[in-house]
Amino acid sequence: MEFHHNICPRNCYDTCSIISTTRKGVLISVEGNPKHEYTAGKLCSKALDDVKRVYSPQRIRYPMRQRGRYSGFWERITWDEALTLVAEKILALKETYGTSLPLALNKYSGNFGVLHNAMEGLFKGIGATTRAVGSPCWSAGVEAQTLDFGTFFCSNPLDMAKAKLIWLWGINPAWTAVHQMPIIFDAIDHGAKVVCFDTYFSATAARAHQYVQVRPGTDGLLALGFSKVLLEEGLIDPTLQSYTLGHKEFIDYLETEISLDQCSKITGVPISTIRDLAVEYGQIHPACIWAGFGLQRYTNGGQTLRAIDALGALAGHLGQQGGGVQYAQFETWRFSGAIQNPLHPINSSSAGVPAMELLTLDNKQTDRLLSINQFSEEALKCSDPPVKVLWISGRNPLSQDGNLQQWKRLISELDLLVVSDLFHSKSSEAADLFLPVTTHYEHWDLNASYWHYWVGVNEPAILPVGESRSDLQIAWDVSSKLNKLKPGSCKFPTSGNEKETLLRELGPQMLDILGLKKPEEILKGPVRANFPRSAWENRIFATPSGRYEFFSSQASNAHLSPLPIFVPPLNPPIDTPLRLLTPHHYSTINSQVYAQGANNFDYVLHLAPELAQRYDLVVGDRAQIWNESGLLKVIIQPLLGISTDVVIIFQEQVEANSPLNCLIGTPLTDMGYLILGAPGFALNETFVNLRKL
Amino acid sequence: MVKQLGFVLDVNRCLGCGACTKACQNRNQLAPSLVWRNIRKVEKTSKDHIQLFYLSTACNHCGNPECLRVCPAGAYAKRRDGIVLHLSEKCTSCKSCVASCPFGAPQINPQTNKASKCQLCYERLDHGMPPFCVQACLTGALGLKELKDIPENKLLRLTAPVPSLRLTCPSVFYKQPRVTRV
Repeated sequence: MEFHHNICPRNCYDTCSIISTTRKGVLISVEGNPKHEYTAGKLCSKALDDVKRVYSPQRIRYPMRQRGRYSGFWERITWDEALTLVAEKILALKETYGTSLPLALNKYSGNFGVLHNAMEGLFKGIGATTRAVGSPCWSAGVEAQTLDFGTFFCSNPLDMAKAKLIWLWGINPAWTAVHQMPIIFDAIDHGAKVVCFDTYFSATAARAHQYVQVRPGTDGLLALGFSKVLLEEGLIDPTLQSYTLGHKEFIDYLETEISLDQCSKITGVPISTIRDLAVEYGQIHPACIWAGFGLQRYTNGGQTLRAIDALGALAGHLGQQGGGVQYAQFETWRFSGAIQNPLHPINSSSAGVPAMELLTLDNKQTDRLLSINQFSEEALKCSDPPVKVLWISGRNPLSQDGNLQQWKRLISELDLLVVSDLFHSKSSEAADLFLPVTTHYEHWDLNASYWHYWVGVNEPAILPVGESRSDLQIAWDVSSKLNKLKPGSCKFPTSGNEKETLLRELGPQMLDILGLKKPEEILKGPVRANFPRSAWENRIFATPSGRYEFFSSQASNAHLSPLPIFVPPLNPPIDTPLRLLTPHHYSTINSQVYAQGANNFDYVLHLAPELAQRYDLVVGDRAQIWNESGLLKVIIQPLLGISTDVVIIFQEQVEANSPLNCLIGTPLTDMGYLILGAPGFALNETFVNLRKL
Repeated sequence: MVKQLGFVLDVNRCLGCGACTKACQNRNQLAPSLVWRNIRKVEKTSKDHIQLFYLSTACNHCGNPECLRVCPAGAYAKRRDGIVLHLSEKCTSCKSCVASCPFGAPQINPQTNKASKCQLCYERLDHGMPPFCVQACLTGALGLKELKDIPENKLLRLTAPVPSLRLTCPSVFYKQPRVTRV
């Protein structure tokens, strides 16, 4: 038996360190790494199915070509045929349009391993191309925290065990960050109180001392209401003057603009609850707020996060051990970026060309950047030149993006749609070419978390299943084919060594963060970054003023309010009066499915019993929800602690013809452009009507 | 009986996340339809409180196992550590145990057509390792304990709301669930 270090590369807080066991080259089991302080030897129920997934009969093992989009007639082809098809098309486009801009890449979080950025490297090597930028996930919150703190950074998650009060705000770690729950339970065992704010009574709320139902999209106002109580009760940190900017203006805003009556009426939280909770939050130290991603998927999402940050600051919780406002971090992702950039000094030093000259050449190459959240609309608007080839990698937009009609139109205008993935998906139904990729048990990689501080190497445990290839290998192969057909047509390397490529990603900055002398040292096992346990512990911030900024000039320069303010979320239109929320389910990560043998044929619509009654519905009834974008058949299921203007469909695996996103448009968040190049996806501003069938 | 091992579940730490059931299923390589461990959701509401907890249950390795009593083939045995074992080589597929267990623990294995149930990973225990389910539990909610060492007043028998269910003396205990204020 052999053991290997693997890292779960999914878009999840936990980014677990895995020990895999192989026998005679076959993966037989996976377990959590006991030496990793966050994974602590445990895996979630999704990762526990990894062996089944790796060898799943549904997994695509060979390059496939579809005879007619959506036809399902797939034929196996060789890699050489597949690569020739792609390379010839790219060269033909360059010939026709005199530029490689008709070639577009849409890639995101299917696998967060650093070597998957080889796709960006390949595209950069080809020339100026069309790219999806921004994030469908966390943009508004990232920008809000950057305005307030200077960058978004969170404490070591183990720090939460020290809190005496924990507010889980719009987050359901029992389903989406399971490894945080034992830390929260340890805090409870040491006397901490846990309050859960959400739109429904989640599995996390069930383990909390108190649940507060907040009307969706009004969390920012609730935070401002709490701040107002702190003000009235004299619970404001007296030392704010020394490390914050603009607290007087913020206090003035609270005094003049925020009324607790209004706050209670709009958020649905009783005034007495607002008062009691605010007093607790002001008096108990350390108190930690963990703000989830769902909170900011509204048109006012950035303001919501800024208001919550401001509440934490006002009460003096920032920088305290076990306290603070936690959201996420990207400080452990400071990789060299050599892989994305074929003209990077590291890559070109051997070529004998002065690196600076190459970088100048590189800067002339201007990619066409399209927002990932309105990709299809923006791609359709591109006419000079149009988008003709689209490569979808680590994504499933036809199941996850809004505005499906536009997506279908875009696809009909493409000459070639390439999907690289492990399994067929809604998106591959429309593809011309399917390229099979390896799982994290079959390639080298380097992974960091956006929550904890650990970075580590993922080793291959087994040979690639079937003819699957890693994204890096595919990128080398495409470059090799391009250069063979037309020498000099792609600057991305044509071959290499995966392990050496990953070691090059650990540049001087990353080595310093990880406290390593040489990149090779990381091969021994995951390493924790040398950060203080608590974010902002010396209260020196990364903002232009070096202070926590209640008042942000960066915000006003970007035509946003300099202070965190309440902006109402969208109002439901008259003919679609119910807000539809589509939170994560414990058995899936977006469209990646882990429930074995779960044959759900219908979406389950969860709603308050009173609302069901209003529509004359009981448990198990068939019903229909619809809006101007689409229509979906559902089965009715009551849910605890949900308000009567909201319905919920969890992102479960369902064998239905219509995907859940047929109901979703592309509303955008208020923030995100400044930091991530595009606003976020205000997914929770979706409204539907309901009727019994 | 010298000892009685049993599962103890701290329901205030159980998330119903399914890691225990997945670990049981995958590591014991059970056919998909065969479920040795299950999770049940229990919900009670009042005006100011919601009580929602999960019960992760498997064979209770009863003190007076009904399966052992009814099996005509002698295919059940109770070890000195309290584990109730099903011996498939003796099983005649009569299904008496399936019908008589008050907790529905024994099930027919579709591959052998014989009864089958949680064996408490006795081979692992004999090597000093915890059962797969306990090892997989992320929060430490599920434990395996020598029940005689635990003071009775600290634990609840939630599986036995019906008095007749107490007759088999199931070796499983739960901590008192907390409620959430709403």
